[in-house]
Amino acid sequence: MDNLIQGAILAVEDLNIRYGNIQAVRGVSFSVHPGEIFGLLGPNGAGKTSTLSAIEGLLKPESGKIRVSGYDIREKPLHARANIGVQLQSTSFQPELHVGEIIRLYAGIYNVSMSNEQIGEVLASINLADSSTKKFGQLSGGQQQRVSLAIALIHTPRLVLLDEPTSGLDPQSRRKLWERMEKLREKGRGIILTTHSMEEAESVCDRIAIIDQGKIIVTGIPQEIIDNNRNNAEVIRASRKGKITLEDVFIGLTGDAVRA
Amino acid sequence: METIIPSTSKVLSSLLRADFTTQWRNRRAVIMVILVPVIILISWKGLIEKFGGAFALSNCITVGLTAIGLMGYSNSVARDRDKGVFQRLRVAPVPSWSIMTSRLIVQLALIVIMILAVFFAGYKYDHISLGRSAYIMSILASFIGGAMYLGLGQAIVGMITNPETVSSTSRLVYFFFIMIGLFGAFGALGETLGQIVRWSPYGVVAHILSSSMHPESWDGEATKALALAFAYTALFSTLGIRWFKWNTAK
Repeated sequence: MDNLIQGAILAVEDLNIRYGNIQAVRGVSFSVHPGEIFGLLGPNGAGKTSTLSAIEGLLKPESGKIRVSGYDIREKPLHARANIGVQLQSTSFQPELHVGEIIRLYAGIYNVSMSNEQIGEVLASINLADSSTKKFGQLSGGQQQRVSLAIALIHTPRLVLLDEPTSGLDPQSRRKLWERMEKLREKGRGIILTTHSMEEAESVCDRIAIIDQGKIIVTGIPQEIIDNNRNNAEVIRASRKGKITLEDVFIGLTGDAVRA
Repeated sequence: METIIPSTSKVLSSLLRADFTTQWRNRRAVIMVILVPVIILISWKGLIEKFGGAFALSNCITVGLTAIGLMGYSNSVARDRDKGVFQRLRVAPVPSWSIMTSRLIVQLALIVIMILAVFFAGYKYDHISLGRSAYIMSILASFIGGAMYLGLGQAIVGMITNPETVSSTSRLVYFFFIMIGLFGAFGALGETLGQIVRWSPYGVVAHILSSSMHPESWDGEATKALALAFAYTALFSTLGIRWFKWNTAK
């Protein structure tokens, strides 16, 4: 673990999160490095969103350490958050504000000076050049995701957190988003991605961690995880077409019971 | 590379610009907040003769303050919390207090506009004029009353997470305060209920407002009402802050 933490943009060590009597996250540790897309996979209620919420500083863990760009999220929360770009699962902005006004607001609170022309350039870069005066609620799901991602990147953060960013997107929009993630990786950003799509995890993630019942049960490169579990009886049983896929490994390791 | 944190003034000015724009785009609701007390005042001619101008002005301003705290503030906070607006702001390098401070500054501005509208309507249509010190004192008293009702609004969003329940509860409390407060002030509810209304949140705000419009006759009762207004503010704010959750997820 020590080797992995060195040089990491995000280091999570022995994270424990509890809601009353429920232990949502148990001893989770992982790290994300510059130029890496790290996927956090797990069934519903596995602890993915709780882990991300702790990294974002939205909830206080029972124990454990989280460091973003070297800043402890509990000791220096504003410094840590200034290094994170976040796209939340259910992001919403003030419905009365226009898209251009929302970008101006977030540019301001991330300390980025932006002229009207620069706001126009940001919108043009996400193919929404003519949407500056539209309200956020008037945009389609895919357009909202693009705006949300543009805002997450407005301050060129070192770490980008994407919480199920492609859910509800059509294949074209999803591919575009994958391309954007890959461009961010090329620029040396660290990306942590939660997703229910194994295809997505296999396509874009450099490393993944599968989390279940609050614990990380496996971490590694997607293909290595497939290869290492190829002969696991549960994985073989989960296989549908003979060829073992990441989804088969995921179901084999986490079980086929539908989670609430 | 060193991390630079945005200055508080930069954060606050960005939040204020957005919150004022949001308020401006909701101007129909703002107009209602201002119109209701002004309409009551204009249609109150007979009562002004009976109870006096200060009584009418103080009750109308109290109605406006109640609407701002209960109908405006609590509902906008409940809606934005439910939609995840606060959570998005809180993952930015923004201290949580600055998010609420910006919201409260917008409400204070609304209070000032409402007071000026009531004073203007009182002067224009009912020829009610006060001395300079009375105007200043009553604006200060309005801020104290406004703080109390914003505290009550905060207590409602602190105790209730569902935005629809917040909306119905705040409407119910609003109409209860207005009806009971006004009838109590007219003496229509009898001696005992009249006393309860007099020392209720509605009554103490109307009392300090009315007394501040005659600063020369400020008495022990007015001081007691002022102390009680501070106590209500502290109680409501404590409850509202203590129980407030930034998101509605269980």
